[in-house]
This record gives sequence, C-alpha cells and structure tokens, in this order.
Amino acid sequence: MPSPRVAVHPTSFIALTLALPLAVALGGCGPSTSLEPTAPAPPLRQVGPHELRVPADFEPIADVKQRSRALFLEVSRVLTHPRCINCHPNGDVPHQGMSLALHDPPALRGPDDHGVVGMECTGCHQDRNLELARVPGAPKWALAPIEMAWVGKTAHAICEQLKDPKRNGGKTLDEIAHHNGHDELVAWGFYPGADREPAPGTQAQLGALTEAWVKSGAECPPEGANQ
Amino acid sequence: MSSPVVVTRRSFLAGLNLSLGGLALGIFPDSALAAEPSAGTAKPAKESPTAGLDPNVFVHVAETGVVTIVCHRSEMGQGVRSSIPVLLADELGADMARVVVQQADGDKKYGDQNTDGSSSIRKGYDDVRRAGATARVMLIAAAAARWKVKPETCEARNHAVSHPPTKRTLGFGDLVKDAAKLPVPKKEDVKLRPKSELTRVSSASLPVLDAPALVKGAAAFGADVSLPGMLIAVIARPPVVGGKVVRVDPARALAVPGVKRVIEMPAPKRPYAFQPWGGVAVVAENTWAAMRGRAALEITWDHGENATYDSVAFRDDLLASVRAPGTPLRNTGDVDAAFAKAARVVEAEYVVPHLAQAPMEPPAAIARVEGGHCEVWAPTQHPQAARKEAARVLGLSEDKVTIHVTLLGGGFGRKSKADFVSEAAFIAREAAAPVRVQWTREDDIHHGYYNAVNAQRLRAALDERGKVIAWHHRTAFPPIGTLFGDQDRPNAGDLQQGVLDLALDIPNVRAEACPAKAHARIGWYRSVYNIFHAFAVGSLIDEIAHARGEDPRDVLLEIIGPARIHSLADLGIAKLANYGSPLTEHPVDAGRLRTVVERVTAAAKWSGRKKDGRAFGLAAHRSFVAYAAVVLAVVPDARHKVRVDEAWITMDAGTVVNRERVHAQLQGAIAMGISNTMFGGITMKAGITEQSNFRDMRIARIGDVPRKIHIDIVPSDGPPCGVGEPGVPPVGPALANAVFALTGQRIREMPFARALGV
Amino acid sequence: MSARIRVNGVEKTLDVDPDMPLLWALRDVLGLTGTKYGCGQALCGACTVHLDGQVVRSCVTPVRRADGHEITTIEGLTPDGSHPLQRAWVELGVPQCGFCQAGQLMSAAALLKSKPRPTDAEIDQSMAGNLCRCGTYPRIRAAIRKAAGMPEEER
Repeated sequence: MPSPRVAVHPTSFIALTLALPLAVALGGCGPSTSLEPTAPAPPLRQVGPHELRVPADFEPIADVKQRSRALFLEVSRVLTHPRCINCHPNGDVPHQGMSLALHDPPALRGPDDHGVVGMECTGCHQDRNLELARVPGAPKWALAPIEMAWVGKTAHAICEQLKDPKRNGGKTLDEIAHHNGHDELVAWGFYPGADREPAPGTQAQLGALTEAWVKSGAECPPEGANQ
Repeated sequence: MSSPVVVTRRSFLAGLNLSLGGLALGIFPDSALAAEPSAGTAKPAKESPTAGLDPNVFVHVAETGVVTIVCHRSEMGQGVRSSIPVLLADELGADMARVVVQQADGDKKYGDQNTDGSSSIRKGYDDVRRAGATARVMLIAAAAARWKVKPETCEARNHAVSHPPTKRTLGFGDLVKDAAKLPVPKKEDVKLRPKSELTRVSSASLPVLDAPALVKGAAAFGADVSLPGMLIAVIARPPVVGGKVVRVDPARALAVPGVKRVIEMPAPKRPYAFQPWGGVAVVAENTWAAMRGRAALEITWDHGENATYDSVAFRDDLLASVRAPGTPLRNTGDVDAAFAKAARVVEAEYVVPHLAQAPMEPPAAIARVEGGHCEVWAPTQHPQAARKEAARVLGLSEDKVTIHVTLLGGGFGRKSKADFVSEAAFIAREAAAPVRVQWTREDDIHHGYYNAVNAQRLRAALDERGKVIAWHHRTAFPPIGTLFGDQDRPNAGDLQQGVLDLALDIPNVRAEACPAKAHARIGWYRSVYNIFHAFAVGSLIDEIAHARGEDPRDVLLEIIGPARIHSLADLGIAKLANYGSPLTEHPVDAGRLRTVVERVTAAAKWSGRKKDGRAFGLAAHRSFVAYAAVVLAVVPDARHKVRVDEAWITMDAGTVVNRERVHAQLQGAIAMGISNTMFGGITMKAGITEQSNFRDMRIARIGDVPRKIHIDIVPSDGPPCGVGEPGVPPVGPALANAVFALTGQRIREMPFARALGV
Repeated sequence: MSARIRVNGVEKTLDVDPDMPLLWALRDVLGLTGTKYGCGQALCGACTVHLDGQVVRSCVTPVRRADGHEITTIEGLTPDGSHPLQRAWVELGVPQCGFCQAGQLMSAAALLKSKPRPTDAEIDQSMAGNLCRCGTYPRIRAAIRKAAGMPEEER
C-alpha cells in the first residue's frame, strides 16, 4: 500500500472516517514497523467528519500500544485539517483555504517565522477574528517553525516529530498535551471565523485525546497508517 | 502637514473656485491646499486673483504675473494635470514656476470634459494651444503698442514679452492692464507657434504636478474632503441588477452607536443608464458606524428579472450565438466561396469574462444640498454628466448644481458613470446634511459597470502555401448601449474597436455581430472591447503561424500586409466612427502597424524568442487611433506556473505632449494587461456577483510585473493619438502566445489562472 | 473606552468604539486623510501605517490595539516630504493617480529602515502587500533603490 500523503482534501475525511475500519488502517496490508502481533482491533464508533472521537471510544482496544497508535491517528485528524496544517507548511509560504492554496497576499516565513519586514503576520492578523474584514486572528499569529512542518508528512512522521524535543520546541509529552488542550493559537483552529470550516471536534476533546495518547505510551502509528 | 480640504461656508458663499490640489510644478507644493494638522475649519486656498487678463476660460494672467491655467479634464493618474497646463503654458510662453493650476468644475463653458476614450490630448490639443496662444497674442499686442513696434517682431518666452532688436523686455504681469483692455482676437487671428518652439512639451522629463503633495498624503481625493456637520452614508444595494427592496427592518442598524438615519433609495427604472442602484442607505457620524449599521440591516429583496443570470450558462449562450450567423458589419470579397476552396482552415473560439475596473479608490462623493443649491465634490471623470444626473435626481436645473472635481484614485472608466454622485445628492437632501457616500471595495466589485462579457469565433482559410485567403470573425457581447435602451447585439460603433478598423491583407473578410443579452450594467473599462477583440485576433494569428510551422512575426507582418492606408472600401465597411477622430487625420494605416511590430521585435531581439527557459509572445493592435505592439517573455513560476519576466512595448501615438507620462501609461498598461489576462474576471451566479474583494478578484502584485519593461515611443510629428488605453489590448494576446511558446498550452479564455490551475 | 495613542508624535485621545479600525479613527476623527481606504480586508495596503515602527494595515487594526502605542502615518513620515523615499518618488515621477502611494511609501520606509540596501527579491517580498492598480511598480522598485543609494536598475 503506498504511503499516503496526509490527506487534506475535505471529502477524504468523510471517506476515511466513515468507511475504514481500523483493522485495515493499522497495518492490515503492508509491512508494520512493530514486531508485535497485530490482532485486528474492533471497529471504532462511527463519527461525522466534523466530530472527534473521545478517549472512551478507544477503550475497547485491548492492546495498549495499538490503542495508543489509534489515539494518535485520531489526534492527527485535527493536526492535518487545513485550519492547522495551513500554518505548518514545509516551505516558506503559509497556505490558505481547504486545498493548500498558497497564501495571497504572498506572505513569507521570514527569519523567525513571523513574516518579513512590511509583510509581518501581525501586520494584518489581529489577536481575534475580524468578521467584516474576514481576516482570521488569534494571539501570537505566526508560522510554526520549519522543524514543525506537517504538510506532505505522514501521520507516522508527524508523530515522531511531535515527540522529538529537538523538533517540538523542547516540550515534554505532558507539555504537548497541555499545549493541545490550552494554547490560544490551537484554539483558533476550532473557531476560525467567517465561513471557514473548523477543525473537527473541540479543543477540550483534542486535549483529552492527546493526554490519553501520552498516558498510553505515546506510540506512533506505523508508516502507511491512515486515519 | 496635510488635512482634509475643509470647505467653509464663507468660501462657498464667496463663490471661489478653490484649487483642490492645484499646484505649480513642484515649486509651490503647499500653495493651494488648506493646511492645518487637525480636523476643523481650515483656511481656504489662495484665491484666484479676479483682476487681470481673461482671454478665455482656460487662462488668467494676474497683474502680479501669476498665470492661472485651468485643467478641464480629470486627473486619474494618466497625467492630464501635468500635460494640458504645460502645453498651454508652452504655447503662451509662460514659465511653469509661476503658473498655478486650477481644476475646473463641471461646466459646458469648458467644452468636452468627459475624460474618457484617451482623448484629452487627442481631441484637445489644438484648443488648448489656441487658448494659450490667444493670451500670448494679447500680451504681445500690448507690448508692441507700448514699444510702438510691430507685434511680429516681439516674442513671448520665459514669462515675458521681449523685442530682440532693441533688447526691451516686459514681464507678463506688467502688460496685463493694457492687454486686458484689448478685444479678444478671433480664432483665425491667433496663430499657433511652430511646433519646434514648444520646448517644454516633448522634453524628456516633465515633473508630475501633484507628486510633492501625493508623497506627503496631502492631495485631496474624493473621500478626503470634509464639510462641517458631514455624515457618512454606506448603502446596501440590491444584490442583483434590477432588484428591489421588498421589506427593510432598520431597528438593529439604528441601534448601532453613531448611526443617525436609515433612508430608502429610489429604485432605478430600465434603461438603467447612470441611475443610482436603489437599496437602503445607513447614514452615520463616521464610516465605521455606517458600515456596521449596514451590516445590521435586515432586508428582503425581490431580485427581479436578472436573478437567473449564471455566468457558466451564459458562456454557453455566447458560444451558441457565435456559432450561428450574425449581422454582417464588414464584408469584402466572398468569404464563403474562399472557405469552400481552402486548403486548410484554422479556427478557434475565445472567451473573455466581465472585467471590473476596480480603481484603487472606490467610488465616493460628497454632496451638500442647501437653499435649493447642490454642491458636490467627487472624483468624477465626467463632471458635466454628474451635474446633469445630480440635477435630475434632485429635480433642480443644472445651474443650481456645482460639481467640483477632486483627484481620482484611478478611474479606468468606472468614474465616468455618475451614479455615485447622484446617490450623494439624493441622500444629502433627504438627510438635510452634507453627506459623503462611501462605497466599500465589496460594493465596487459587486455593483459595477463591468466590461462586456464576450465570446468570439474566428476562422482563417489558408491556401496551399498557407497564405490566409479569407477571414471570418463573429463576436457576441452585450454592448454599452444596453444601458440606454434595448440593443440586442453590438453595432458598427461597437465593432469599430478592433474589428472594423483591423488592417488585414486578406481579400475576403467578413465580420458579424452576434446577439447577447445584458444582465449586468455594462461600462467602459480601459480599452473596452479592444481587450477581447485584440485577444482573439492576436491569438489566432499566432495559431495560424504555428499551424504553418513558421515564425509568428513573419506571419503577423504578412497578414497586416504592405504599408498602405486602408480606405473604407478596402475595409469593407460603410463608415468608421474612428473613436471620434477624423479619418483624414487618423486613417487605418497598415504601415504604422507594421512599424510598431518591427520596432518592438527588434528591441526584444526576436530571433532569440525561445531559449534559456524563456519564450516570447508577440501581438499588435490599433486602438484609439494609436498603434501598439508588445513582446512578452515568460518563464516558469512556482506560484503561478508562468510569469512575465520581461516586456517590450512600442507605441506610435503621433505627437506626444508629455513623453514621461506616456512612458508611465505604457508601464501601467503592461501591469493592467497582466491583471486582466492572468487573474481578473467577474462571474455571476443566480444574478449575484461571485467576487467581492482582491482575494477573489485578484490583480497583479509587484512580483507579477517584470523588472524590465522597455518602452519605445515612436517619434512622430503626426496629430496626437490616444495614449491612456492603447497599450492594454496587445498584452493579452502576447501573453497567450508566449505561454503557448513556453508550454505548448494554448489558452483561449481569460483569466489564465483558471486554465493553469493557480 | 478612551484610547490614548501617540500619532505622529502628538498624544491623542480617542473616544471611539475600541473595535473601530484605526484607519477610520485617523481619517474621520483625527482628520488625517493621507492614509487611504482601498479594500478593508488587509489585501491592498493603501491603509499602511506604522505601529511602534512596524507596518500594519490600519483598516484591520482596531483602535484598542494601538492604545498606549505609537502610530506614524504618511503625514508623520517627515514634516516636509524630505525622506529620501519621498524625494526619490518625486524625482522619478513614481505616482500616477497617487492613491496607493502613501501606503507604498510607509511599507518602503519600514523596509529601508530594516534593510538599508535591499535586494530586488527583498523589495518585491516586502512590497507584495501594496497593490497599485495604475501599475507604477517598476518605478516603485527604482525609487526604493535610488533612496537606498543604489543604481535604479540592475546593470
């Protein structure tokens, strides 16, 4: 099975969340990076594309490591949603919209992820959304550093990246869980303003899922795993 | 320090003609503007001295020696304020350092003030010169009388009259008293100088009159004028053309702090012309409150007859229209017979959507209606039309309406429509207060007088050697005439733009106008129908060249044919409106078209047209009786797939008054052509414009425009031609041809961004 | 709410809706009309001013954000039009209609303050937020280079 790019097309969310039993997703057809036997896990509760599962939904997965991987895959549904991934580009230009369009006006990363002179992120983006002007906003609006790039990366790669203190801003796992559950910029993804589609679920749910993932050992899904 | 130009009651009553932004060339930068750092009443501009020499409405010479020159055309960046006064001053012999430029109000006494159609110099050249020459003749007569010499032995130069044989000199100011007693000479007694004596004009670099004020933020555009007690109005207009208000609940709007009134606008009746759009106005103490108030209105609309207008479906209608015979408006030889025996046929269909002018300054106008008089400040291209429309809306006679013309932050045709002026006049009367009507950018893009949407079918019949023996052109678009009445298809006046005046060395030519209904207000947009006619013609010629496997430049020159004047009979037409210029002065001249092609391709080193990852495209077009040719070099681009890397443009515009501003117009034409072709386009769904701001109606940014734009203005002594518009039409086809040469993709529909997927 | 903002070196008190964009406070309330309205969505740059020296689009910057800070508008760039950029703009005939030029100048001024000798790429990147419908972009580039003491065009 080809290693999938992290899906960003909106309809793929529907296809993947509703149609794929977790058994297929977790290495049913391809080499697994884990040496443990992968017994098929029970199918997860079906949810709509804008809904996040809760930690309790993963309890039926007996194997802790498998449960942990599944939890991360659920978290990655938020991370790879356009509202989040648009500011985690793997180049110097932020994205916009639902299809990884390049930001227009042509904004650039700049020397420290906050834009270039004359085109600083906070030159246009405020600390909250503007409705009449349509400009999205949240405190500390800026790009994620290049080592936190997610565009073009698999769930496996994002997971490894997130766990690596050299690439996650020196955070411990608990700090990551807290960040997901409480950071203001993360919060924005769920309340993006105007007619922008929010990331699935709520920030509280994201925080809970991340905590559950950390508590279950912060396992990373194998390469080739889908949501 | 700048301020808004605050017009006090005193200055209004004194009836002074204030100079809004009128400046001497860079020498007296603050002379004409009220200058207080904060809002409040300001001192009126230096008054025009009323005693002095007034040979005509265009020039006044004061006893102090100050020469006041009236600019009767609107300044929208084309440089008319830096050109007309200089031309007049040069003819007069005045020193621009001692000239004050005054902007004319809308008044028939100034003749044609409609700043449209690239005509200010083209149509005004002789009149402007004569106005200055008249003053010169009178000053010389006064000096000659005083010195008791013959006038022919005197000359006027550097703001003085001199008598070289006796070395006597008198400044203009010293002659005014005597000159003012003389009768104003008749037109036939005023001789213009030989052109060689016009030393300022045509010099390489004239200053931009208003630049010193502009760079300080001190120059007044429409929305910068402030009147005591002024309110701001923002209007919710019907989303669909012809729509009406069924019901409005103003309660939430009135609850917004600062909102004073909610006023329903009169609904326009067909034909729409320049009538206000209707809808509901929110009037408030400041612009922000008015915008918030408008957002809080609850309105039920009856969208009316155009609610089914869908651009996707209409595109099919247009294509169906050009696939059927239309009204022949140009016919030579026998096109059908020629096609019947053609060795091969090259044919294509081209589509160009509505385009919006989107000047950087959205429309705004200020009106005050008091004591049966209406006074307006507006960035209008057509102040006399604005006067007529405001008078009509208020039920006043025109002499009770005064239109002051501010600087325009761009026009491109949008601001020759008086709708926004009428809106201000109406609301000012209803609100019993001075009012600024402020259009938002969304208003400007939603409620526009768009360039006509168009489809064309072009077919060329080739003989066995590849020579084009017949040319069959069908074009369908809702023309501007639909604003004024029922016109179901373009007429000859419309097709003069790039179809009827097209020089072709082809014996069998037929052009047909095909039907198209108007579901939007159609308007003028910088070069108008030439945009799409040049696109199709320039592209097809290139397609013919590639079908023949030959150099596009050679094929273009072959199709243009030898240098000769094409008569009406040659063109196969009954008459040619010729942009309002006499055909005797401005014939259809294939030689001039050849020349611009030859010059531009030489400048671009055309033989290198495909190498080093770059490819060239070429096109040429006659419009507004000028001739322009463009070569664009395109390269691949990460963001937009293709990018214009370098541009060459050659223009023959006859006698040029301000070479420096012509240079700027041509630079701008490249940018605007790229905007139209790559990014622009207005589409409708259920009658509502889908675009709303620069995020979905994109225009070229600095990075989209090449670093090197080479400008070549053909030296000429011929009568002046249009300058503002003719640079635009060849850009679209040149880009299509360059993209094809680079990528092999032939794009026949604008905007290219769609075909390129960017 | 009462906002206190230092505008062009002068302390101003603004008793307005704290969400009012600075643009309208500057124009409608303080009468500083050099800063222009072009789009209201931070897409065109005509409204560019400096907030504590940084380029911001005043059409989306609420008064609340400027409270207690310094704002410089085109009127305050220099008292007399003597900034090298303003001089270069006049010498090279940069403005056509001129409406976008205050915003262009404010962006360019910030650029040169940070990068006294910018490359062509840096000029395009930093000026990308300022639209010019008249298309005087080539002269904007040339004037920035001239003001920076560089040759107007790459030789």
